[in-house]
Amino acid sequence: MKVLRITPDRCTGCMRCELACSYMQTGTFQPAKSVIRVSPFEAYASYAPYTCPQCAEAWCLTACPVEAITVSPVGAKVVLDDVCVGCKLCTIACPYGTIFYNAETGKAFKCNLCDGQPACAEACPTQAIEYVEAETHDWLGAFAAERAARHLTTLASA
Amino acid sequence: MVRHVIVGGGTAGMNAITTIRQYDKGASEIVLVASERPYARMVLPYYLKGDISEAHVYTATPARLRALDVQTYIGRRAVGLDPQAGTVTLDDGTQLAYDDLLIATGSSPVRPPVPGADAADVYSFWTLEQAQAVLHRLRPGCHVAMVGAGFIAFTILNAILARQARLTVVEIAPQVLPRMIDAQGAKLVEEWLRQRGVHLRTGANLTAIEPADGRKRLRFQEGEDVVADVVILATGIRPNLEWLEGTGLAINRGVLVDEHLRSNVPNVYAAGDIAEGRDLVRGEAAVHAIEPTAMEHGRVVGANMAGQPVAYRGSLLMNIVEVLDLEIASFGAWDDPQAEVSQALVPERFAYRKLLWRGDRLVGAMLIGPSREVWTSNDLGMLKGLVQSGIRLGAWKSYLHHHPFDVKRAFIAAGTTARLLPQTVLGSPSVPAAAVAVRRGV
Repeated sequence: MKVLRITPDRCTGCMRCELACSYMQTGTFQPAKSVIRVSPFEAYASYAPYTCPQCAEAWCLTACPVEAITVSPVGAKVVLDDVCVGCKLCTIACPYGTIFYNAETGKAFKCNLCDGQPACAEACPTQAIEYVEAETHDWLGAFAAERAARHLTTLASA
Repeated sequence: MVRHVIVGGGTAGMNAITTIRQYDKGASEIVLVASERPYARMVLPYYLKGDISEAHVYTATPARLRALDVQTYIGRRAVGLDPQAGTVTLDDGTQLAYDDLLIATGSSPVRPPVPGADAADVYSFWTLEQAQAVLHRLRPGCHVAMVGAGFIAFTILNAILARQARLTVVEIAPQVLPRMIDAQGAKLVEEWLRQRGVHLRTGANLTAIEPADGRKRLRFQEGEDVVADVVILATGIRPNLEWLEGTGLAINRGVLVDEHLRSNVPNVYAAGDIAEGRDLVRGEAAVHAIEPTAMEHGRVVGANMAGQPVAYRGSLLMNIVEVLDLEIASFGAWDDPQAEVSQALVPERFAYRKLLWRGDRLVGAMLIGPSREVWTSNDLGMLKGLVQSGIRLGAWKSYLHHHPFDVKRAFIAAGTTARLLPQTVLGSPSVPAAAVAVRRGV
């Protein structure tokens, strides 16, 4: 299936993905409602966008007691708003921390790959986020470990 | 054709059935014995609150059960088991022979051993029928006494208050949520509830529930009586083990199961609230009685019954409850007295974090905070991922010790995603239950 391939070395930290995502998902420019979130590394000189890996196990889907999470035609695990009761089991079952609860709507929300046209990938000016045919992967681990090393060293000597 | 008998139509039983069909597409006989129509206990509080209809509560319609080619004995209870003969006896005398059996009969509420607690107009909140009885008694302005301040009690506080009832919560332990959070966290929760008009009495030893002119009078060892219109007991649950006495099954607090969730009788499995299986973090056998454990148990049993020898790593204890917009959650060994502790407490913001360590591995976590604040729950799942994966955090341990609210960078840089991706329950992609059906003519 097509997944969001993230190449953190290309990320400039411009946060356009967060704005595009929140606008596509909620109709408002609210990074807090974005389901792709950019984290700073190396004391804020490197950045890495993080989102749902659309894992095969689908911890959120299996945890839901009312079958409010299903698999969309593009392979995304998606929340059915009219079925979700807001019990939050998915938010503690997902070990990646990529499904959230919206206190205003009382529903869970997560990345649905924008039904096959992810706004984050379209908005990214440096192709740090691409929507391509690939196996899902830990796109950020090695980059973050390397970029964070100096940050942790600074911390240890502080 | 192999015949699987599933006793219990709750989360564990239904997940087992769906998983069997996911693998065998109908190449076996499945018989379900369930005392009630299958429904999701987890969502009863939303039904009580009026957010959802009764139809929304059911997990398996007759049409779904037909699509899965399941023979049903709904409204029947299993009363006897003969593992030598391989038969289950139902309460109407029916005998069912099985090739393998799943015991998933769940648990029942326990009433406190005080006079009056067994009266018919003193309510439990556990089954759909009990939820309906409570629903019909709640009137705006009525006074509800909730006996017990554990997880089950907390799941329905929102619904009671949303129906404009006044609420008094009494708990025998010195704190609320004694099996979910520590005393420090409980203080925050208690303060939050008091500020919002809930009367709380902890350390209260109930001695009797008496009729009082159409109302109920609760008496205590010390302190004033409480007079209420509706009394709800949420004083714990225990596994429904009675029908298994004398069967030779090895039972401790629940039916003891191995890594394939088999009991000491190889073709008899147990799952969910009645099973005592491996706790992922502690490594010991435990009865969790939580929805996620019942779900995983059910899936693992289903796979094994369908001939996939899936070994289970164990269940992670976890709970989350929101009460009046305060989020409360805990994971794993949150009460491990041997663990090293990192914590941060900001009482004026009702913010609390506690991380529990063995070496540089996170073995448990606890969090409390207002649900509207992004920082409360934005890394909730990552805390679960760190505990579940058992990943070594190295230098990030000291970072998290000083910054327990900044979990994400540690999670990413430790390579937790790479560790988690292959760590699955069944080792094959999960399928939505609605997409599972038998292939006719198999």
